[in-house]
Amino acid sequence: MTAINPIAFYLFAGVALAFSVMTVLRKNPVSSAFSLVMVFFSFAGIYAILGAHLIATLQVLVYAGAIMVLFVFVVMLLNSDSPSFDFRRTPALFRVAAGLVCAALFVLFVRVFKNSPPVLTPGAFTAEAVDAAGGNTRVISELMFSEYVLPFELTSVLLLAAIVGAVALAKRHSVAKPVSKKGVAHVAATR
Amino acid sequence: MSDEPLIATATTLNTIRPELLTMTFGQMAALSPWIWALGGALSMMLAAVLFKTWKWVVPALMIMATAGAAWSSTMLMDLGDQFLFNRMMLVDRFTLVFTVLFAISALVTTLSSMKYLDREGLQHPEYYILMLFSMIGMMNMVSALDLVVIFVALELMSISVYVLVGFRRADRRSNEAAVKYFVLGGAASAVFLYGSALLYGATGSINIQEILAAVEAGRAGGSLLFVLGAALVIFGFLFKVASFPFHMWMPDVYEGAPAPITGFMTTGIKAASFATFVRVMAGLGYGDGLAEAVQKHLHDILWISAALTMVIGNVIALTQVNLKRMLAYSSIAHTGYLLVGILVGPASDSGYGPIYLYLLAYTVMNLGAFAVLSALAKRGDSGINLHDMAGLSKRQPLMAFGMAVFLFSMAGIPPTAGFAAKYLLFYSAVQAGEIWITVIAVLCSAISVYYYLRVLVYMYMREPAEAGGSAGRSWMASAAVLAMIVLTLQIGVLPSRVIETAKSISKTAVPQIGQAGARAAR
Repeated sequence: MTAINPIAFYLFAGVALAFSVMTVLRKNPVSSAFSLVMVFFSFAGIYAILGAHLIATLQVLVYAGAIMVLFVFVVMLLNSDSPSFDFRRTPALFRVAAGLVCAALFVLFVRVFKNSPPVLTPGAFTAEAVDAAGGNTRVISELMFSEYVLPFELTSVLLLAAIVGAVALAKRHSVAKPVSKKGVAHVAATR
Repeated sequence: MSDEPLIATATTLNTIRPELLTMTFGQMAALSPWIWALGGALSMMLAAVLFKTWKWVVPALMIMATAGAAWSSTMLMDLGDQFLFNRMMLVDRFTLVFTVLFAISALVTTLSSMKYLDREGLQHPEYYILMLFSMIGMMNMVSALDLVVIFVALELMSISVYVLVGFRRADRRSNEAAVKYFVLGGAASAVFLYGSALLYGATGSINIQEILAAVEAGRAGGSLLFVLGAALVIFGFLFKVASFPFHMWMPDVYEGAPAPITGFMTTGIKAASFATFVRVMAGLGYGDGLAEAVQKHLHDILWISAALTMVIGNVIALTQVNLKRMLAYSSIAHTGYLLVGILVGPASDSGYGPIYLYLLAYTVMNLGAFAVLSALAKRGDSGINLHDMAGLSKRQPLMAFGMAVFLFSMAGIPPTAGFAAKYLLFYSAVQAGEIWITVIAVLCSAISVYYYLRVLVYMYMREPAEAGGSAGRSWMASAAVLAMIVLTLQIGVLPSRVIETAKSISKTAVPQIGQAGARAAR
């Protein structure tokens, strides 16, 4: 595989990191969501410099486009401004412990990646070989329906289950209504 | 199915491989449990839309699909190993016996749900459909030989259950449980996925067999990247089976979920996670092929987790008065015993066999216990505290007797299934030379007798506090409880046949790359 451009990599990776932090820290959910869009865009950039153009396009279309737009709509419609959790009220001990754990994990990962072998044996799917076989799109579509047919079909079952689940949770259960009020009252009394 | 290695000798890629699109007769036959389950799920969705009387059609289809999956799995036992879909899936005895276990779990849960859902006003077809989807996820997880397939199947299993946990939408605890389970489960899936990515980086493959081959060839077993990847994958599984220190979510989730679903989770999901855990551990070369230091490292992770899981689960269970919560902590404790089984598996004669026997026994007795709880619960899952059990033997003798048998079994008292399972498990631990963990396990088991038998004292030796109207009876729930009593006693009195099966699968639990034929030919 041809070496990737380090400047482009550090640019996209840095942007992705910065906006990931923003996603977590921003108080306003909409601005969090938009930071996440930026993260997805930078990921698309990283995929592109790795030569995976189809994945980069899909990342922009599906994640940054479709999914995030839906996400932002939901966040706006819910209009949940009040945070249910204020991280400034966490005990100092917890914060110190969390910081230490994060630092330890960081050191661990740096150590692991420094000590792992520098270049793993490249597989068959180098950029040149993929180009010779007809390009990314063609190779992926051919593989998806032959070699990877099981995960592909299983994913469609997963999506079907998710749709059924979403309907089950969102459907208005008109029959259950009088029951539910009593149930709530009862639970409130027992708690 | 013969396939070329991915590392091509020529520069041209061979992406069109017609041989992957054909199937032999054996491979088609091996798919029959999936055809039952998936066909059942799709026809249930159709029936729910087409028929106004779906209330009887959908559960009937569910019973048919699960019973069909179990029946076809037992028919296939002598088929031999069948590799499917580019060796991403393996249908062998290991897969099939666990498929039977999942089908039993889904079937009994369906039987105990009918009356329960009527009482809660939650009789919706999605409930059964999601349960069947979850079962399909479990079946795929156990049969998977590829980390990506395991991940997708894990999500299929979990997402269906996230919804089922929150099925009582009007109940605050149910909602809390669903959100908690969803967020933490998502985080655990991410950890598992990242571990898989690191394993791919270390070994160059996400296929369990190829990872094992890379480890055995000494290409990856010692590298730090491999250790980190393996540890993260193990953490993902430790979360799914709710062992220490990833057990925090479990009591709340088990208490908030509808009672039959709690039974389904403690049996089906736990069995599927453990079965896949065994496969992945074997694939990582645990106990066979790993470098000495790495082996010791993974061993220590499991040892500490197993010991603390047993102690914490049993000690906290002592103070619980809500039976669902008590069984949740007891479930954590049983997870600890099962981890001992994984820990000692490679070093003992019976291999991973005791885990299967234990999971089977645990499934039977726990399904029974939750069927009893589902039958006794009043609206909003109330009325299943310890003091509500007072005098149950007079009000509902069958339920009380069933609960007594199941609790004896969980405590590990002969002649019940729990005793046979614990005996075989602890015996194999001693055989493997793990004396200390066995001592801890036996002591914890002794502690557990207290909180199991306390329920018995309430049921048989206390007078009922008030003549509260008992919840209506359902012949389906009674049939389920009766069947589980029979199975518990049968496995306890005549365990030899099940032990034989358990021992025979433990040999095939490790998919050796040499057995496959295709690889050996090259």
